Amino acid sequence: METRVRSRACACVALLLFALRASLGHEHIKVQEEEETPEDVKWRSPEEEQGKFRTPEGEVRVQVSGRALVPGVRTQDWISNARVLLDGDAYVGFIREDGGFSVSDVPSGSYVLEISSPTYRFQPVRVDITATGKMRARVVDYIRTSAVTRLPYPLQMRCAGPHHYFIPRETWIWSDFLMNPMVLMMVLPLLIVVLLPKVMNSSDPEMKREMEQSMNMLNSNQDLPDVSEIVTRFFSPPKSHGRAGGGARATVGGAASVRGGAPRRRSKMNTAVTYSE
Amino acid sequence: MAWLVVRLAISLSLLYTASAVFEDQVGKFDWREQFIGKVRFALFDTHSQASKKLLVATDKNVFASLNSRTGDLFWRHVDKTGPEGHIDALLMYGQDAVVVVGNGRLLRSWETTVGGLKWEAVLDTGSFQAAALIGVQDFVKYVAVLKKSAISLHDLSSGSQIWVENLPDSDTVQYQTIYSGGNGLVFVLGFVPSSHIVIVEYKIEDGEIMKKKSVEAAWMSSLENSCAVISSGNLLCVDQTTQSLYTLPLQSAEHTEMRQIHLQTLDLEVASGFQPVLTSTQPNPAQPPLAEFFLQLSPDHHILLQLKDDLIAPLRDFNPSYLAAFATSGEKTVAAVMTPKNDTACSINLFSADTGRRHLDTTIIYHMDPNGGKPNRLYVHAFLKKDDSVGYRVMVQTEDLTLTFLQQPGRVVWMREEALADVVTMEMVDLPLTGTQAELEGEFGKKADGLLPMVLKRLSSQFILLQAWMAHLWKLFYDARKPRSSVKNEVTIDTLSRDEFNLQKMMVMVTASGKLFGIDSKSGTVLWKQYLEDIKPDSIFKLIVQRTTAHFPHPPQCTLLIKDKDTGLGSLYVFNPIFGKKSHISVPALPRPVLQTLLLPVIDQDYAKVLLLIDDQYKVTAFPSTKNVLQQLQDTASSVFFYLVDSSQGKLSGFRLRMDLSTELIWEVVIPTEVQKIVAVKGKRANEHVHSQGRVMGDRSVLYKYLNPNLLAVITESTDIHQERSFVGIFLIDGVTGRIVHEAVQRKARGPVHFVHSENWLVYVYWNSKFRRNEFSVLELFEGAELYNSTVFSSLDRPHPPQVLQQSYIFPAPISTLEATLTEKGITSRHLLVGLPSGSILSLPKMFLDPRRPELISEQSREENLIPYAPEMPIRTEWFINYNQTVSRVRGIYTAPSGLESTCLVVVYGLDIYQTRVFPSKQFDVLKDDYDYVLISSVLFGLFFATMISKRLAEVKLLNRAWR
Repeated sequence: METRVRSRACACVALLLFALRASLGHEHIKVQEEEETPEDVKWRSPEEEQGKFRTPEGEVRVQVSGRALVPGVRTQDWISNARVLLDGDAYVGFIREDGGFSVSDVPSGSYVLEISSPTYRFQPVRVDITATGKMRARVVDYIRTSAVTRLPYPLQMRCAGPHHYFIPRETWIWSDFLMNPMVLMMVLPLLIVVLLPKVMNSSDPEMKREMEQSMNMLNSNQDLPDVSEIVTRFFSPPKSHGRAGGGARATVGGAASVRGGAPRRRSKMNTAVTYSE
Repeated sequence: MAWLVVRLAISLSLLYTASAVFEDQVGKFDWREQFIGKVRFALFDTHSQASKKLLVATDKNVFASLNSRTGDLFWRHVDKTGPEGHIDALLMYGQDAVVVVGNGRLLRSWETTVGGLKWEAVLDTGSFQAAALIGVQDFVKYVAVLKKSAISLHDLSSGSQIWVENLPDSDTVQYQTIYSGGNGLVFVLGFVPSSHIVIVEYKIEDGEIMKKKSVEAAWMSSLENSCAVISSGNLLCVDQTTQSLYTLPLQSAEHTEMRQIHLQTLDLEVASGFQPVLTSTQPNPAQPPLAEFFLQLSPDHHILLQLKDDLIAPLRDFNPSYLAAFATSGEKTVAAVMTPKNDTACSINLFSADTGRRHLDTTIIYHMDPNGGKPNRLYVHAFLKKDDSVGYRVMVQTEDLTLTFLQQPGRVVWMREEALADVVTMEMVDLPLTGTQAELEGEFGKKADGLLPMVLKRLSSQFILLQAWMAHLWKLFYDARKPRSSVKNEVTIDTLSRDEFNLQKMMVMVTASGKLFGIDSKSGTVLWKQYLEDIKPDSIFKLIVQRTTAHFPHPPQCTLLIKDKDTGLGSLYVFNPIFGKKSHISVPALPRPVLQTLLLPVIDQDYAKVLLLIDDQYKVTAFPSTKNVLQQLQDTASSVFFYLVDSSQGKLSGFRLRMDLSTELIWEVVIPTEVQKIVAVKGKRANEHVHSQGRVMGDRSVLYKYLNPNLLAVITESTDIHQERSFVGIFLIDGVTGRIVHEAVQRKARGPVHFVHSENWLVYVYWNSKFRRNEFSVLELFEGAELYNSTVFSSLDRPHPPQVLQQSYIFPAPISTLEATLTEKGITSRHLLVGLPSGSILSLPKMFLDPRRPELISEQSREENLIPYAPEMPIRTEWFINYNQTVSRVRGIYTAPSGLESTCLVVVYGLDIYQTRVFPSKQFDVLKDDYDYVLISSVLFGLFFATMISKRLAEVKLLNRAWR
C-alpha cells in the first residue's frame, strides 16, 4: 500500500510537471522510459497458431484469443450482448458458446483488451504484440505503464462480479427512527415526566395506598442512606454543621414516617436546603 | 492525519452519490431505442411454423434477430465499423446462420435462438465474391466461399476447412458466382469481359477440378445480376444491348455455345438504359433451383417466366410492378409482386410460382407514407395455413429506410425507422403552450390599455383557467371510472403542450439519409417525419433554430442547411419543428458554396433570428432579408465578426461585416500545414449561462474567471505520426481580434482529440502515445484577483492576458465522445458526459477536472472543497447515467437545459438513441422522487389530533380543578 501511494505521488508530480511544461510550450521533456528487462520478456510465439499472416507490406497480423468465464452462469445467458474490445472498438471479437473468443487481424502493438458486457464486469488485460507476431498478456497499469505483471496467454478472463449501477435509496423505517440514541434519550425522560405524575395522582385511594406500600417496600431498608445524601455529604464542605444535622434528620424522618410519601419528600427538600447552605 | 482522511472520505463519498441513478428510476424518464441500419440481407426463419425470428444483416455491420411479430430485437451483434466488419453474405440453414464478414476474411456461424457464436473461421485474404451453402444428397453440409482467386469449402457444423483450391487463370477471369445443385459438384462461374464465360467444376469431396470449359459470350459485362442458374443447372443470362436471353446447360459437354433467345420472340423489350435483372430461387440448397424466374425489364416492369424443355415461356406479365420476390414454405413456392394501386397505395399479391396463377384473397394493401420514400425492397415470409393454403406476411423497406411489416389485408404489424441509426445532428425545441397558457401569456404581452379593460381581461383569463381546471377535474373523474388499461396517455401531435417544468421537448433529428424526425423527448414516440428527396449521400447538415416557441402566435421555425460534400453548394429547408411542416417562406438561392453560417441575435419583426450565410467570395446573404432586417444589420454591422477555417491551408481568418453586407478581412492566423493540421475549431455554446464571475478562494479573495464569449479553441494534430514526435496542439484564439490568448502543446500525443469548450475552461482528451493511455487535460483561464471591466466584456479592450492553469489526468478507458451538461442559469455544478466504446455514458463531475486540485492538502484547499490531486481519474459504474442501457457506437451527446435549474436533458445518439435527465447537483429545486408523503402527512395528522386531544384533556382538567 505504501509503495503504491508513493508511486502515485511520483506520477502525479511527473504529470504536473509535464502539464506545466507542455502548457508553457517549452521543448518536450525527456522522461526516461523504463525499458523492459529481458528476463521479464517471455514472449509467446504464435507460430503454430492459426490466424497469423503478413500483409503485402510485410506487417504482421495476429489473432488474439482467450476464454471468458462467468462462474455460475451459463454462457448462452450472457454472451449474446457481450463483446471483446481491443482499444475501444478498434478491433472487435465475439464470444463463442464455449466461452472462447478470438480477435483476428490485429497488427503489432500494445492493446488493452476488455470484455464489455452490460451485466458482468471483467478486468481488462494488456496484450502486447511484437513486430514478429509474438505476444504476451499482462496486468493493465496505467500509472506504471511499463510494469510487467504477466498473465497467462491465451487469456483467461474471469468475471469479477456483476456491475453495480444503482445506489440504494435512503429508506425511512420506524424502528430506525425509534432506535436512534438521540430519540431514545429524549423520549424516555419525556415518558417519565409526563406519565409518572399521572400515575401517582390517580384519585383512587386504594391505588394510592398500594403505591405507598410499594414505595415503602422499595425503601424497606431504612438504614440504607439515600444516594443523594451520600453525594451531598461527599461534596459539601466539612465545616458545615447543618449538613450533618439535616442528614440525620432526614434519616430520622425516613425512619419515623412509615407512611412514606409527603414526609419523605420533605426530607429530601431538607437535604437540598442543606446543600445550598 | 487520521481525521483528515476520514473527512476526505466523507466528502468523497458525498461526491460519489451525486448524479447516480436509483433503481426505482429505471425507465421513469429515460428511454432507449435500438436500431440496426439499412437492411442488406433479411431472412425469415422458416424452420418451424411458430418461429418468430427474422435475421437481418445491415450496412452498419450489424447482425441481428428481430421478433417478426413485434419488430423488437431478440439480440444484436455490432461488429467493427468500416470494411473489416462489413457483412458480405448471410446464409441460413436450420437453426444456424452463416455470415461472411470483412471482405471474406471471417466466416462465422451463429446459433439463432440466443445469438451465440458457434464457430468462427479465419479465411485467407482475397476479395470476396460469393458464398453458397452446398448440399449433398438432400443434406446441407458445407458452405463454399468464392474469393477472387480461390474457392474454399468449410464444414457447416464445425467451421473446419475441407479444402481450398486456387482458381485457374484468376488474373484474367473474374469469378463471380457459385452454384451447386446437390449432385456432388460445385460450379464456379467466371467470365472475361466481352469475351467468354468460364465454368469450372469441382468435386465436393476433395476439391478436384472435374471439368473446365469456356463458352463464347462477347456481350458479357457482369454475371452478378444479369445471370442466374435455373432448373437443374441451366445458366441463364440476359443482355440489354442484344435484347436477348442466353441459356447454357452447365453440365453437358457438347454445348460449347450459348443458345440465344431474342426477347422479341417473347414480345418483350428491355427499357433503354436499364440493366435487366434476373431473379431465380433455390428453396433448398441441396436441390436444383426452380425453373421459374423473374425478369425485370424496367424499374417498374417484372415478368415471371418459366424454362421448360429448353423453351422459355412467360407465365405472367406484371406491368406495372415495383417489386417482386419469391418465398417458399414447405413444398410450395410463391411469388409476391407489388403493383401500384393509386398514388398513395400499392397492393401486394401472391402468385403461385409454378403456374403464375393468383392466389385468391391474398391482397395486402401497402399505404405509402406521403412524407416518405418509395419502397425499394420486398421480403416475403410465406407460411402454410391450417387448411394447407399459403399465407404470407411481407416486410417492405423504403428509400428512407423505413421497415414496415404487413399482414393481410394491410394491417401494419410493426414499423421501424432505421434512418435513426444514423443521426447526424439534432436540436431540442420547447413545446408550444396550450391555448389557456397562451391566453395568459398574451395578457402580459399586450400593451396596457387602461385600468378597467385590464381588470376585465384579468378576470376573463382567470375564468378561462378555472374552466380549464374544471374540465381537467372532470376528465380525471371520468377516467377514474374506466378500467386502468383503457386509459392511455397517447402522445399525439395535437395533445402536445409544454409541461410545467419544460422537461418535455421536441427532439428534431436530422439523419444521414435525409429524413427528418420530430420525436417526443418524454416517450420517444416519433411524432412527425419528413423525407427530403434528392439528398446526396455524405451531405453535411446544419440545423438552426431561428425562432423558438416563445413567440406566440408566430410558429417556431427551424432551418436546415444542406451542403453537398463535393461542391459545397448549399440549400435551405425551412420547417416548423413542432409539426414538421415545410414553411412557405421564400428562401434565398445559394449559387455559391457556403463556407460559414452565423446566427445573429438580431431579430426581424416576426421574431426570427437572422441567419448570415457567407459564400466563398466572402459575400454575405441574410435570411430572412426583409427591409427591417437589413436596416438592423446596417446598424450593427460594425460589431459583427466571423471567422473562417481553411484546414487544407492551415489558415484561420477573421472578418468583419461592412454596412453594405460585404466583408473585410481583419486578421489571419496561419498554422503551417507541413507541421500540423487543424482538426477542430469550436467556440462556446451560445445558449450557455455562467452564473458566477469568479471563484471564492480559501482566503476569501475572489479569483475572477476569464469569460471571453469570442474565444475559439483550435485543436491541431501533427502531420508526423511517429510516436516519439507526434503532438497535439491547442490554440485559444480570440475570434474578434485574432489574438492568440493561449497556446499549449502535448508532446508524444496523438488524436483523436475530444474536447469541450465552455465557461472559462477547455477539457480535452488525447492519446498519450508514449504511455499508451488516454489522458484528460484541463485548461482554466482566470483574469486574476481583479476584474478589468466587470460589466461588459470586450475583446478589443482587454489589456491583460489571462492566467492559465492546467492539469492532466489519466483516464483509464477509451473514449468515443465528450460533452458537458448544461442548465438554465448555470448555477448547478457541471458534469462531463463521456461516451465510452462499451456503450456506457459516464457522468464525470467537473470537480475532478480542476487545475487547482492541490497536491498537498492545506486548510485553504479544504475550505474550497478541492479534491487532492490523483493522477488516475476514477470510473465508477454508479456514474453511468444509462446503467445497463448501453448505446452502441456513440456518435454524439446533446445536452439541453430544462425549466428546472437542477435538471439537464441529455440525448445520446449513435446506432441507438438514449434520452435521459441528469441532476449534476441532485434535485435541489424539486421534491425528490422518494419524498415520503405518507410520513409527512401522518406526522401532521398525528400532531393535529394530539393537539385536539390534549386540548380536550386540558379543558377537563381545568374544569376539575375549578370544582375542587
